[in-house]
Amino acid sequence: MSTNTIISLKDIVVEFDGERVLEGLDLDIHDKEFVTFLGPSGCGKTTTLRIIGGFVAPKNGDVFFEGKRINDLPPYKRQVNTVFQRYALFPHLNVFENVAFGLKIQKLPEKEIRTRVLEMLELVNLKGFENRGVNQLSGGQQQRVAIARALVNHPKVLLLDEPLGALDLKLRKEMQIELKKIQQSLGITFIYVTHDQEEALTMSDTVVVMKDGDIQQIGTPEDIYNEPKNAFVADFIGESNIVPGIMKKDFLVEFAGRDFECVDSGFTPMEQVDVVVRPEDIKVVPTIAGHITGIVENVTFKGVHFEMEVLACGTHWLIHSTQSQAVGASIGMQIGPEDIHIMHKMEE
Amino acid sequence: MKSKYSALPYYVWMALFTIAPLILVLVFAFTDNNGAFTIENISQVGEYTNVLVRSVWLAAVATVICLLIAYPLAYIMSRLGPSKQRTMVMLIMLPMWMNFLLRTYAWMTILENNGLLNRFFGLFGVGPFDMINTQGAVVLGMVYNYLPFMILPLYTIMVKIDNRVIEAAQDLGASPLKVASSVVLPLSVPGISTGITMVFVPAVSTFIISRMLGGGGNLLIGDLIDLQFLGNAYNPHLGSAISLVLMVIILLCMSVMNQFGEEEEREGMLI
Repeated sequence: MSTNTIISLKDIVVEFDGERVLEGLDLDIHDKEFVTFLGPSGCGKTTTLRIIGGFVAPKNGDVFFEGKRINDLPPYKRQVNTVFQRYALFPHLNVFENVAFGLKIQKLPEKEIRTRVLEMLELVNLKGFENRGVNQLSGGQQQRVAIARALVNHPKVLLLDEPLGALDLKLRKEMQIELKKIQQSLGITFIYVTHDQEEALTMSDTVVVMKDGDIQQIGTPEDIYNEPKNAFVADFIGESNIVPGIMKKDFLVEFAGRDFECVDSGFTPMEQVDVVVRPEDIKVVPTIAGHITGIVENVTFKGVHFEMEVLACGTHWLIHSTQSQAVGASIGMQIGPEDIHIMHKMEE
Repeated sequence: MKSKYSALPYYVWMALFTIAPLILVLVFAFTDNNGAFTIENISQVGEYTNVLVRSVWLAAVATVICLLIAYPLAYIMSRLGPSKQRTMVMLIMLPMWMNFLLRTYAWMTILENNGLLNRFFGLFGVGPFDMINTQGAVVLGMVYNYLPFMILPLYTIMVKIDNRVIEAAQDLGASPLKVASSVVLPLSVPGISTGITMVFVPAVSTFIISRMLGGGGNLLIGDLIDLQFLGNAYNPHLGSAISLVLMVIILLCMSVMNQFGEEEEREGMLI
């Protein structure tokens, strides 16, 4: 895989006013990949993006682009383009002029500029909007202009800083699919920053989960969801129940007051671990058939499923089920071996 | 309906202190001592063409110098942190807290033939230079006194330019010079035209600066008007006529400049 690495970050350290934002970040990004930096606000994902764009200079560490060190290259000489949060369109220019900005700086012939801009506007479904002022556009349209303005330059890498953050849910979902389509049809590397885990899972080839300036896990969306490396990732990617447990031996874990068969091995015997169970993996059964018995405390209708809070063994469990239970009812909970994810305790 | 009445005091104010004096000036300008209609006053203004030209020229030079000094400064200020910005605005305003006359007197003592500067040059065996009572001194006085009126409107406009827009331009390949010419300049046109107005108009009609720093030889239109009302040449009819001509000149200058400003904007649109 390292043969087609396009961007490489080595031991990046960033400080703002003496506060560490990134602590020795290492990351390789491959060509034509859709990579997402995912994490809560303040985790350093936008800073990482701005380092690649050239807007933040790292205190320590190196940035490589196609094997060349580009630490000292100013933004306007880099072969990447950015779609900014809140778009940052030029308010004094119309749609056409906004998109043409980069091409005019490259001093391309007027005719080529025209063809390429119109092509790009068609790609983002803004045909016929050339002469509109950007302030006359809706949020979704402005966002498309921002994408077109960046893509028209044929960058090798497109950086996107929470570009869909200001849009409503339905539009956001549409744009997610559109962006993915554009990325695949143009064969450009996309580096996407978001705090929305669903967005990350929907679009990415690779997800980089970050927290406090550190990478927690890098993997495909399936990996990240099914095999979270630690309790933080498990909790951040989708909802999950995280309870303390003891790994008795390989394939046997104790939690919630009893032993469970599981599929994990390689832990020291009797190691204190975090046990992660996804809410949709807990089956609701009659009390006699369940591994654990609990009392339903709260039920919320979520559309596709019901979300239940169940008190069992002193812990509140989150359960997703298509069938509702009465509040106060006693239920049995069944958890299969594949649904139990064992994690080393986070050092904190 | 209520808002209509709440504007009433302002209408009264404008009628009393803007419209009425203007009418008075008009009446005075077109009448003689006996109150009879005449255009002699206006035609007499023609004798002072050289003073008019000098006023407009010196004010224009001062305005351009102000713009050249203020533009980069305002841009740098607008990109500083909030607390530094406040300090800078404060420092720029500070001289304005001192009396205008006092500030201009201070320049007199600095520029005099045996003033501070010439004594300083004397230490190195050069000079003395003739600095006071020159057109240069008048321009200097104008620039010094009116510079804040150029900086502040420019700064107010520039501080509104989103940093992300500048970053976006850099991201799209614009060098610092290109960012300045195709993003910052077109977006700051309103500040430029306000700044020019606020410096040019008081500069073209000043009389204190020219009298104190320009000596008797650099009479400006403001001095001329002053002489007609408070000087030996007492003639309010001529004074009103000159004021009227000055107003027309300023109006013409402003409309020419607005034309230019609009063109600037259009050019900016085309990059």
